[in-house]
Amino acid sequence: MTLDLVPLTPWLVLCAGILITMMVSVVRVETRRPAQVFTLLTLAATLISALSSVAAEPVTLFGGAFEASALTRVTLALLSGLGILFVVGTSDYLTREKLHYSDYYHLLLILILGAGVLVSSRDLVAAFIALEVMSLPAYTLAGFRRNDSRSNEAAIKYFILGGAIGAVFLLGTSFLFGSTGSTNLGAIQAWSRSSGGPDALFRVGQVLVIASFLFKVAAAPFHFWKPDVYEGAPVPVTGIMATIVTSGAFLFLVRLAHLPEWSDPAWAQNLAEMKLVFRLAAGASLVIGSAVMITQKNLKRMMAYSSITHSGYLLLGLLGTLEHPEQIQSVLVYLVGYSLMSTGVFVLLSLSQAPGDSGVELVDVTGLMKRSPALTFLWAVFLFSMAGMPLTIGFFAKYFVFLSSISGGEVALVVLAALCTVVSAYAYLRPVALMVMREADPGAAVWDARYKSQIVVVLAAAAVLFLGTMPNAMIHYLKWIPLIR
Amino acid sequence: MESSSSLSFLLTVPLMGALISLLVPKASQRLYAIFGSVLFLGLTVYETASLLFCKSAEEAARLAIEHRLDWVPDLGLSLSLRLDSVSVWFVVLNALVAVLAFSTRGIWYRKSPGLFTGLGFFLLFALNAAFLSNDLIAFYLAYESVFIPMIFMVGIWGVRQKAASVFRFFLMSFFGSILMLVSIFYLVREGAVSGAGYSSHLSDLIRVASGLGPERSAWVFLGFFLAFAIKVPLVPFHGWLKDVYTNAPVPATIWMSAILSKLGVFGMIRFVVPMFQGVILEHQAVLLSLAAISVVYAAFLAIRSSSPKTLLAYSSISHLGFVMMGVFSMKQAGASAAILLSAGHTLASGLLFFLLAQVEERQEGLDLNTAHGLAGRYPVLFTTMFLAVLASVSLPGTMNFAGEFLVLLEAYPSSALWTAVAGAGVVLGAVYMLRFYQQLGLGSPGSSGNGASGSAEAAGTGDLSGLDLILVIGLMGMILAGGFQTAIFLKGN
Repeated sequence: MTLDLVPLTPWLVLCAGILITMMVSVVRVETRRPAQVFTLLTLAATLISALSSVAAEPVTLFGGAFEASALTRVTLALLSGLGILFVVGTSDYLTREKLHYSDYYHLLLILILGAGVLVSSRDLVAAFIALEVMSLPAYTLAGFRRNDSRSNEAAIKYFILGGAIGAVFLLGTSFLFGSTGSTNLGAIQAWSRSSGGPDALFRVGQVLVIASFLFKVAAAPFHFWKPDVYEGAPVPVTGIMATIVTSGAFLFLVRLAHLPEWSDPAWAQNLAEMKLVFRLAAGASLVIGSAVMITQKNLKRMMAYSSITHSGYLLLGLLGTLEHPEQIQSVLVYLVGYSLMSTGVFVLLSLSQAPGDSGVELVDVTGLMKRSPALTFLWAVFLFSMAGMPLTIGFFAKYFVFLSSISGGEVALVVLAALCTVVSAYAYLRPVALMVMREADPGAAVWDARYKSQIVVVLAAAAVLFLGTMPNAMIHYLKWIPLIR
Repeated sequence: MESSSSLSFLLTVPLMGALISLLVPKASQRLYAIFGSVLFLGLTVYETASLLFCKSAEEAARLAIEHRLDWVPDLGLSLSLRLDSVSVWFVVLNALVAVLAFSTRGIWYRKSPGLFTGLGFFLLFALNAAFLSNDLIAFYLAYESVFIPMIFMVGIWGVRQKAASVFRFFLMSFFGSILMLVSIFYLVREGAVSGAGYSSHLSDLIRVASGLGPERSAWVFLGFFLAFAIKVPLVPFHGWLKDVYTNAPVPATIWMSAILSKLGVFGMIRFVVPMFQGVILEHQAVLLSLAAISVVYAAFLAIRSSSPKTLLAYSSISHLGFVMMGVFSMKQAGASAAILLSAGHTLASGLLFFLLAQVEERQEGLDLNTAHGLAGRYPVLFTTMFLAVLASVSLPGTMNFAGEFLVLLEAYPSSALWTAVAGAGVVLGAVYMLRFYQQLGLGSPGSSGNGASGSAEAAGTGDLSGLDLILVIGLMGMILAGGFQTAIFLKGN
């Protein structure tokens, strides 16, 4: 059997780039500039090769374990693009906090590779490997502030819980293998068409694998790790987790949600059960996330709860895909929009020179309007977008998932989500109010906008506003991307 | 009237105004804002004159223009603009209110004035976009965009507990409007399921809503109703109003009471009534009772209130109760009367808030709540204020009288009881408005003024004069002209 490697080009480019970057940084140990430059080159090359091949015929490779299709290519491009933004946007922070090591870039690249392969996996075992490739760098990065006990705590917590949940995923996989005779998603799907419905073993396995990914995207009730990890990890890493890890994990969760062929009437009961699972997870994430968010005083911690609500919104989009797979576009639009605004928020957070390791408190943003109108404007753009206000991509992101969920018949859940939007809007607008209405608190942190970070934030804000007014620019391209089941 | 240009200028000119305000030097911001808004008002009236002043329904229907621009074709979203005999009034009033709001003086022209005029012009744009939208998603976007300048205006130039009041204002309104969004989505999805594809154009959604069946359409209606009832507001939903009206800077208060509240009225007339005729007719008694209770309850609150600003805030609710009564009468003439009365309320309440600000400005350091006897000091100002008070209590000859009278006339066949209750509100209105004037204007001046009189004179702010006077007289003229020329409002729509 010959293996045609051409469809794999973007992933191979990334792999090669990782190897080159690592070697280069070994050769020139005394400075991190080569690592940084090669990381950017690698990510740019991956982005370009993924986008240029996006219209290629979708194929599966390695015995159906790996899918190279428009969806996986666009995702890889998104992940590399986010990688570029974070590398450029947070290098100032890393230098200032004396965290600027080449290892940071290696770990980031490996993490992106893991996420990119995870999305492409069509086999549970392959997915497990990709998941670990993505997670191990994430654990390490969370503990990147080596001398900071909170960062260490975050890493340990994330590692132990993540490891345990990886075991749960494997357990689920073995159940599914026992029931269906395969770990390949295509084969499981084929099995579902002839099996005449699930057996007990299948249902247990299904719930276990889905629960383990609900943990990865921190949907309630599997969200407890998130606030601590978010708060303890260095700001750029928190941003990377919020965007890259979430995107990768969530898109694989969409695949897991489509294990059997739902249109088969024999699976109607199982479909109803799964809908209930996702409905509960979505509702709980929305309610818990938004209710707790308004009590937070630390902005990083607030963003952790915010991302729990965003997992809830993503699950709304997912619920719509169960019966209408074309609604995958709602998930994609949401991921792109959410990633853009999160990138903006976390790069902005990295600009604050808040003393100590506590991160940015609400008090640090008081009176920012007087001190820096430009930063206030940028903050307002991202926070308004998070709240789903019009003229920002946040509105259209919500628009899509609401519409997707309503097409799935989840009207009550959408009403609940709408009410949670109001609650969380309070939390998002409060920092803006403090910036505009309050005089600067004497203890407020200094905000230091450096050149490189500025470029990234301004770009992200421009994208948020542009896509918010001209969403067609994005939707037109995401619309035809099919979810191959 | 060229169809596309006359519509798009209503949106592009204010946006340009907002952008240019970034370039205007700080000292000339007020002049620029007044000049720009007057120019825009003139342009608006000139371009829409034929529609504005035509007297027959047929002619109005012929002159109505609709302009459809694909916005997100992949979703069936269009920027559908429609200028007809309903929206034209709101568009003109919007331009007029901007002139009034920009003519105020205060801290907003001293502390970052560029931001103020920029936000003001953006508000003008967003409101025009809302009043012209014929596509519900586009309307929702414009409707929500209105919050953004409002939040900043209150946040930056407001007083006292501005943060709390602006949050209450925003969150309550957002609560309503997000439910409206869900309702819109539901209708859009129903339309898509029936095979027509995604569309949120009003004409498509009217068709979808009419096929929903009574129970489902009642729920969908509730989403829309809550949004607009909070915006207007009707009585159980008025909790946000008092604090934000009193803590906001004067121009923001003028904007909120004179034109933002009309968003709710407009939304009801343009969208809710055509979509949910069945539901409204079925629950007409409840809706009319809500409106009538608003009239009376808010009137009592106004009588009881001690501060002039609070009194005006409550009187706003009371008058808008009449407007909603006209809307819920479900008759063509009732809706026309509601528009007439809306226009009257916009002018009278805008004028009163404006004049109150003039008083406040001349009496810095004076507590308005205990001030009295100011009429002797500022005879011209208080004469005009008295006329505005008379308009507000619907003296025959003003458009407010014509509006209230016609509203009650149209609502009577639907519910004699609630018409009678609301009718009592007319009398109560006279009680609190005259008391308002008596308290502030009449009596012996000075006792609590403590030295303020001297400083005010020294500051050189004498009686009402110059541009302010011309503006006030112009508005008074409109109130009277509207009272005698009701035909242009009542041509049917």
